[in-house]
Amino acid sequence: MPPSIHPVDLITALRHKHLTPAIVFLTSRRACDEAMETFDHADLVLPPARQEAIAVALERVMTQHPSIAEHPLIPIVRRVGIAAHHAGHLPSWKIAVEELMRQGHLDAVFATTTLAAGVDFPARTVVITQSSIRKSRDFTDLTIGEVQQIAGRAGRRGKDHVGFAIVTPSPYIDLMVLTKGLTGQPEAIDSQFTISYPMVLNLLKAHPHEQIQGILAKSFAQFQLNQRAELLEQKLDALHGQMEPFGPRVCTDWITQWHTFDHARRHRHTRHQTHRSESPEISARLPFLTPGRVVGLGRGRGIVLRQYRSKGQKNSMLTVLRPDNAVTECPVTSVKEVYDRTYDFAETPTYPWCSTGTFDRLSHQLEELPPRLPVLPILVSTGLEPLSDAIVQSLGDFPCPTCSSRPACQKDFTTASRLRQEQQRHTKSIQALRTSLWHRFQERVEVLQKFGYLSPATQLTADGEWARLIRIDHSLLITELIRAEAFTGADPSLLAGVLASLAHDDDRPGAFPRISPGLSSLLGQVRKLAESLSPYEDPPLLRADVAALVERWIADPTLTWIGLCRLTTMAEGDIYRLLARTLEFLSQVQALKFTHPGLAESTSHAITLIRRGVLEELP
Amino acid sequence: MTTEELEKLLAQQPVALLHRLARGRVHRHFRAGKRRLIELLLQHSSQNRAGLESDLQTLIDGQHARSDAGSSRIRRAPVIVHKKASPRGAEPDSAETAVSLSTWLEGLGVPSPQPFVPDPWQSEALSALNETDVVISVPTGSGKTYVAVEAARRAMEDNRSVIYTSPLKALSNTKYTEFSRIFGPEKVGILTGDRQENGQAPLLIMTTEILRNLLYDAASGEIDVRLDTLGLVILDESQYLADPERGVVWEETIIFCPGQARLLLLSASIGNPEDIADWLTSIRSTVCRLVRHSKRTVPLRAGYLHPNGKLTPLFRTLGIPYGHPSQLHPEATRLFHEYEEETLPAGRPRR
Ligand SMILES: Nc1ncnc2c1ncn2[C@@H]1O[C@H](COP(=O)(O)OP(=O)(O)OP(=O)(O)O)[C@@H](O)[C@H]1O
Ligand SMILES: [Mg+2]
Repeated sequence: MPPSIHPVDLITALRHKHLTPAIVFLTSRRACDEAMETFDHADLVLPPARQEAIAVALERVMTQHPSIAEHPLIPIVRRVGIAAHHAGHLPSWKIAVEELMRQGHLDAVFATTTLAAGVDFPARTVVITQSSIRKSRDFTDLTIGEVQQIAGRAGRRGKDHVGFAIVTPSPYIDLMVLTKGLTGQPEAIDSQFTISYPMVLNLLKAHPHEQIQGILAKSFAQFQLNQRAELLEQKLDALHGQMEPFGPRVCTDWITQWHTFDHARRHRHTRHQTHRSESPEISARLPFLTPGRVVGLGRGRGIVLRQYRSKGQKNSMLTVLRPDNAVTECPVTSVKEVYDRTYDFAETPTYPWCSTGTFDRLSHQLEELPPRLPVLPILVSTGLEPLSDAIVQSLGDFPCPTCSSRPACQKDFTTASRLRQEQQRHTKSIQALRTSLWHRFQERVEVLQKFGYLSPATQLTADGEWARLIRIDHSLLITELIRAEAFTGADPSLLAGVLASLAHDDDRPGAFPRISPGLSSLLGQVRKLAESLSPYEDPPLLRADVAALVERWIADPTLTWIGLCRLTTMAEGDIYRLLARTLEFLSQVQALKFTHPGLAESTSHAITLIRRGVLEELP
Repeated sequence: MTTEELEKLLAQQPVALLHRLARGRVHRHFRAGKRRLIELLLQHSSQNRAGLESDLQTLIDGQHARSDAGSSRIRRAPVIVHKKASPRGAEPDSAETAVSLSTWLEGLGVPSPQPFVPDPWQSEALSALNETDVVISVPTGSGKTYVAVEAARRAMEDNRSVIYTSPLKALSNTKYTEFSRIFGPEKVGILTGDRQENGQAPLLIMTTEILRNLLYDAASGEIDVRLDTLGLVILDESQYLADPERGVVWEETIIFCPGQARLLLLSASIGNPEDIADWLTSIRSTVCRLVRHSKRTVPLRAGYLHPNGKLTPLFRTLGIPYGHPSQLHPEATRLFHEYEEETLPAGRPRR
């Protein structure tokens, strides 16, 4: 049996059951194009009247968008009434296909899942051949929301009594993901709020520093952080109740007293120096790395089973349950993220530190965790000395050995101290949740002060005043390049080339044979600066091939669109998007006309030169 | 278990189970076909065979627990499924209770033209918009555009300007054409990162980033955007709030949206629209109204198409059995099982 249905058979089956028009979602652009090719010699031709109707409709779109006239797919579209629609195509082609579909001329469109979002493109049937999609270089399972967006294209209001979502298997399919997706509730959405440099500059331009915390508090991020904090507050209330029997005794704070006494007694002989070697960041984490906590390690995630100290190890150690039921021991320093997610379980004193039932349950829960988890914001406080020598020296001065409450304290200590630790942990978490955005804002402020965009009094400096107008990705790198005069006197084509390499965030390979020495040396400079800024801003891909492509388009006004496409292996649609995004970046730089007239002029020049041919024809 | 036994047991499992097993073990396991996947699993687990075996067992047990409908968490001995002449023939869930293909295909067709009557939720949203901000979360294709258009019309009749944003330039362009046809070209303008037309029109279409920038410029008091006459801001596809890269722009836009303008958020179905509405209520001057429903206007049916061209319903029920993912049609189960068995020898990755 073939790994998946042949496109010709698929269309035949759909037509036969009157399930057209259909959108067939395929895994890749390549798959869409290859599916179209299989119709080259198929005898699925439409009756002449329908062929004619398609030709007429295409003519009409062509008058507005002449660039589609030569499109290689046109013969098949006309003859068979099917088309391909994906991000590798020019917008004009996509518009044409959408128009044909809306007018009911097509029986099927092969598309990638990018079509699922937003575009008004309904059909009677959608065909689903995959259960995962490529997201930032890797394949991830479709979410319930995504499956429903895809399936949602089926069934046109006013044109269909029912819509059909048809699953057909391929090696990429996990049927369960799809059945869950079709029958489930869409996921809750989480805030993705981040604080960028331009956001800080623009906020401080319009509002005094002391108002900012209030503005950040209006974010959905803070709303959700508050929700989590409120949950913890409820837990805290419950803990207060549980703490009641452990109130003041002979000493008011008997728990601390007993703790210190007990600790000193035990460690009188085996005192280790190691405690102090932990950095404040690590120490601040320790209270959170308790059994049941979900953490991110170098590769993948895990659930903490216990925390312990081991002789000869500089740091505290963790026993962690990893995804494949593996149990690993690692120092706390190898924890990359502490997530705001814990599982309650009863600890046991021996390996694997919990019961087998619990172990299985935790393994399962670990597998089922959503891909994205909220990170616990942890505040680092300095100067937490664990236990001073003085206390140990004065062990004889403790009242405990002779105290009348000693048996009771000894008995209750374990429970009481665990409860109190939990209280402290929750209190810290709540505090962190309430103030984490503000802390992140302050971190950004410090960087901007260091670079001189903000004064020590958090006023915008002269540079800050113009830098706040650059509100795109890699803004710090762009403003630093401008300050370093990297673009001064540069040709519009070089300027656009560099901005193109900053604007292009796709790693889909492309090839371009030659890059000019001028652009090459400028890119070298940009790369150096980007590296030096990497502690403050993620460096861009800075692909030389896309830079060279845009440089050529601007430097040579006689170059045609076809000529440009021949220079690279990039798809037409990608080249178009590259140029459009470069235009966006250029227009941001153009906004600096009052402070950097020379640069702005060069930018306007580049903008005028980019807008020609296909780029002028299209919106 | 010997390697051979393990391999055999793996080969008898549905590929979905293997993928679950491969999570965290095999990088990019979704690219591998069944046979390759088994190879990779065995390779990966050469150090930790016990882990693989126990996971496999758990998954197999899990499947049985599910099909037994009892959730007993008792471990079983390995279950070796043998190839049957008529697989699953003796299963209790025989075809009688499941929908037939002909029923499933019934009623397909084009409804006769109906006069346009707004849905109750559309009217509800429009009247709520007179008083407050509104969040709409309804399935794809329900008719959110109608609400946007009517709301925009009312605001403009009131001499207030309207801003409509979408996350995608392509969508902005489509809406520009559509709204120009509805309201007349002189009433509609568009601003995207690289296109500006009719920027003084009362109804402006833009990408959300552009609106965010306008709001920042207005806050620092330097450009004259007619924000004082702004009566309505429509954010289409607001489920983009959860986009890892761009979501923040929706938050900024909502935080800085002028107080006198009404906010209308249009979103596909999401899990927690009430959180969005509560959030708006907490930061804006009026109590935000949430309009939501999850019922599709055109009912949906799901099918399974076998590579040999055979079509069958995917679920036992005619419609989608919401909340019951395992109510698969016995015929679909049988065919999919067959598919997995048969693609085994040829199951190399296609790419
Ligand atoms: N009350 C109604 N009665 C009949 N048809 C309607 C009604 N409201 C909207 N429609 C039609 O439903 C179709 C889908 O509407 P629309 O594009 O607004 O959906 P949407 O909710 O925006 O979907 P998407 O999630 O894809 O953006 C349109 O063809 C529209 O004319
Ligand atoms: Mg819509």
